[in-house]
Amino acid sequence: MNFCKRAWLNVWAKKGRSILLILVSAAILMFVLAGLLIRSAAIKATNQAKADVGATVTLSANRQAAFKQMRKSSSSSSSTSSRPKLTLTPVKLSDATKIAKLSNVGSYNVTSTTSANAKSYDTVSTSTGMGGSNSGGPGGMKSGSSSSGDTQIDGVTATSLTSDFSDKQSKIVKGRGITASDKNTNHVVIEKELASQNNLSVGDTMTFKQTTGSKTTVKVKIVGIYKASSSSSSTAGPMSTDPSNTVYTSYTLANSIKGSKYAGTADSVTFNVTTPSKVSSVKKAGNQLISTSKYTLSTDDASYQTVKASMSSVESFANKIVWLVAIAGTIILALIVILMIRERRFEIGVLLSLGEARWKIVAQFFTEMIMVLVVALAIAGAGGKFVGNQLGSQLVSQTATTTQTTSTTSGQPGGGNQGGGQPGGQSGHTGGPGSSSNSTTKADTKLAITVSAVDLAELGGFGLAITFLSIMIASGGILRLEPRKVLIS
Amino acid sequence: MLKTKDLSYWYQDASQPLFKDVNLEFEVGQSYAILGHSGTGKTTFLSLIAGLDRPKDGEIFLGDRSLKKIGLTNYRRHDVAIVFQAYNLFTYMSPLDNLLTAMAITNAEHAGDKAYAGQILRDLGIGEDLITRNVQHLSGGQQQRVAIARTMACDAKLVVADEPTGNLDEDNTNAVIAQFQKIAHDQQKCVIIVTHEPDVAAQCDHQYRLENKQFTQLA
Ligand SMILES: Nc1ncnc2c1ncn2[C@@H]1O[C@H](COP(=O)(O)OP(=O)(O)OP(=O)(O)O)[C@@H](O)[C@H]1O
Ligand SMILES: [Mg+2]
Repeated sequence: MNFCKRAWLNVWAKKGRSILLILVSAAILMFVLAGLLIRSAAIKATNQAKADVGATVTLSANRQAAFKQMRKSSSSSSSTSSRPKLTLTPVKLSDATKIAKLSNVGSYNVTSTTSANAKSYDTVSTSTGMGGSNSGGPGGMKSGSSSSGDTQIDGVTATSLTSDFSDKQSKIVKGRGITASDKNTNHVVIEKELASQNNLSVGDTMTFKQTTGSKTTVKVKIVGIYKASSSSSSTAGPMSTDPSNTVYTSYTLANSIKGSKYAGTADSVTFNVTTPSKVSSVKKAGNQLISTSKYTLSTDDASYQTVKASMSSVESFANKIVWLVAIAGTIILALIVILMIRERRFEIGVLLSLGEARWKIVAQFFTEMIMVLVVALAIAGAGGKFVGNQLGSQLVSQTATTTQTTSTTSGQPGGGNQGGGQPGGQSGHTGGPGSSSNSTTKADTKLAITVSAVDLAELGGFGLAITFLSIMIASGGILRLEPRKVLIS
Repeated sequence: MLKTKDLSYWYQDASQPLFKDVNLEFEVGQSYAILGHSGTGKTTFLSLIAGLDRPKDGEIFLGDRSLKKIGLTNYRRHDVAIVFQAYNLFTYMSPLDNLLTAMAITNAEHAGDKAYAGQILRDLGIGEDLITRNVQHLSGGQQQRVAIARTMACDAKLVVADEPTGNLDEDNTNAVIAQFQKIAHDQQKCVIIVTHEPDVAAQCDHQYRLENKQFTQLA
C-alpha cells in the first residue's frame, strides 16, 4: 500500500510534529484510560461486594395474616368475653428443606428462640439498672398464657450462620460454636460475662427451668463461650434481659424447651441467597412451596442494595469521565488534524494531480494518526495507571463516607419486633435489616486499579474511534478541495 | 493526440468568458508554448487540459475519447503529468521517493524500479548525494528539475507545465526548457508549457498567444 509508505515517510520526516501529536494523543488517552480503569474497578468491586454481602430470604409465620384473622374473629364474635387470640403457626422444617433445594439458595439457618429461667446459675443484670435479673421482660404485649424467662435461648442451626456471628458482633472466645452436628444434643454456647460471673467454663454443665408447661429442669453442657460486642447489645433494643444472658443452642434443644409440640418447627428459617440479585425470584419460587396464609417469606438485601447504589454512582461517574474526555478529545484532536491538513493542501493538490484517489489520501492521514496512536497508547498505558490511582482513591474516600452514612441509617430499624411477642419471645435479633451492612460495605469500596490487556484494548478502541472521527471531520476539506486550487495559488 | 472542441470557460462571477470556442490540436513529439498577458486565462486553460477542472462548454478529446468518458481522476493518473510553478514535490521525501511515489500512484511501467528513477534524476543533474536528501534542502532549480524528472519517470504521454521557469534564473531556465524539449523529442511526448517569457516560448516547437478570448498561433 503506497499510502502506508507515504504515511510512514511523513511521520518519520516530521519528527517534531509527530512527537507533539503523540503527546497530545497520549494526554487524551490517559484520561480516557483513567475513566475506563475506574469504571472497570467499580464493576469489579460491585461484583465482589455483591458476592460478599449476600442477601437472605427469611421464612417465618405470617404475622399480618394472623393479625387479620385475630381481628376478624374478635369482631364476628358478639361476646367480648373471649379474648382475641393471635395464633402464629411455627414454621415447619419440612417446608424449609423444600425451599433450600431451590436454585440460588445456599446455606440456611433455622432459628427457634425461647426463654428459660436460670436454675444452677445467676443471670447477668444490666449495668444500666433496667430492673433486676429476675424481673422478666416488659416485652410489650405479651400473650398472657406464657411468661418470659430470664435467660434467652437462641436455637440455631449453627452460630456461624447467624448475623451476629457472621458480622463479627459476637465472637467465639473459648471452645467452639454451635454447629449442625449439635442437632439433638444439649450443647450450649454462653456469653463470657455469664460464664465468668458463674465461674463456668467449657465442659461444665448448667441447668434451666422451663417457663411453661411442666416447668421441668433442663440440664445442658457448655461447649463454647462467646463474647458479644457492646454494639450488639444496642440492637437488642427493648429486650428486657442483658444480652449476656443469651444462650445459643441447637434449634432442637430450643424446641424441646418450648414444648413437645414444637418439634420439627422453627420461629424462622433464614436462607442465604448465593446470587443477591436473584432474591426476588427466590422469594417468588419459595412462595409456591408454602402456604402464604400461614407463612411469609421476607427478603433482606439492604446491604446489597447499599453497595450496589454506592458503586453504581462511582460507575456512572467513571462513565461520564470516559465520554466527556472522549468527546473533548475528539474535538481537540479534530481541530489539530484540521489545522495540519490545511497546511498540507499543496501536498494534497499534487496527490490529486497525480490521480490519487481521495480515499487513499484520507487513508494516508488516518495511517499517520494510527502510528501516532500506537506510541501514545503505550505512554497512556503507563501513565493512566497513575492517573487512575489518584482519581480512584479520591473517589473511594468520597464514596466510603457516603456508604457509611447510608449503612448507619439503614441499621436503625433493626430489632423492631412490632406487636406481641410469641411465647418465649421472638427476639429482635432476627429483625434488623441492614444491621449487617455496616462492616461489609466499608471493606468493599476499595478500588483495585490495574491496567489489563482488556483495558488497553478498550482504550485502543476508543483511540481509534476518536482518531477516525477527527480525520473524518477534518477530511471534509480534503474531499472538497479542487486540485486546480494548487495550480492557481 | 489532444484536441479541444469549441472549448469555453468562464468563472461564475465573471460577466465575460475567459476564452470561447477554442479549437486546438496538440501532437506527441512536439512542444507547445502558450503566451499571454497576466489574467487572460492561461492557467485556467491549462487546468482544463490537465483534467483538474471541467470546461463550461465544449469538450476535450484524448485521441478519440473525451475526458468526460475517461474520467478526470483516471485521466490524471494515466494520461497527463503536471509541473507547477512551485510546490510540486512531497516535502517530506527525498527526490528518489518523490519519483517512486508518483510512479506507484500512476502505476507506471517502471514502478518500484529505484535504479530507473535514480538514472533519470542523475541525467537531470541531481547528483548522487542529493537523490536521497530531503527535497526541502534542494535549490529551487533543483526542485523544478526533480518535478520534471517525475514527469519523465511516469508514462503519461501529455506533459503540461504552468510557468515552470517562473522562479528560476537564466541558466536554470535554459536547462529546464532543454529537458522539456528532450521529453517531447526523445520520449515522444506532447509538452505544453504556459509562460510569459518570450525567450522560453521561442525554444518550443510551437507558440500560441491567448488574447481576446482566442488562441492565435505565432509564426
Ligand atoms: N476561482 C476564480 N474565481 C473567479 N475568478 C477567477 C478564479 N481564478 C481565476 N480567476 C480570474 O480568471 C482570470 C484568469 O486567471 P488565470 O489564473 O487563468 O490567468 P493567467 O493567464 O494564468 O494569469 P497569470 O499570467 O497572472 O498567471 C483572472 O482574471 C482571474 O482573476
Ligand atoms: Mg497563471
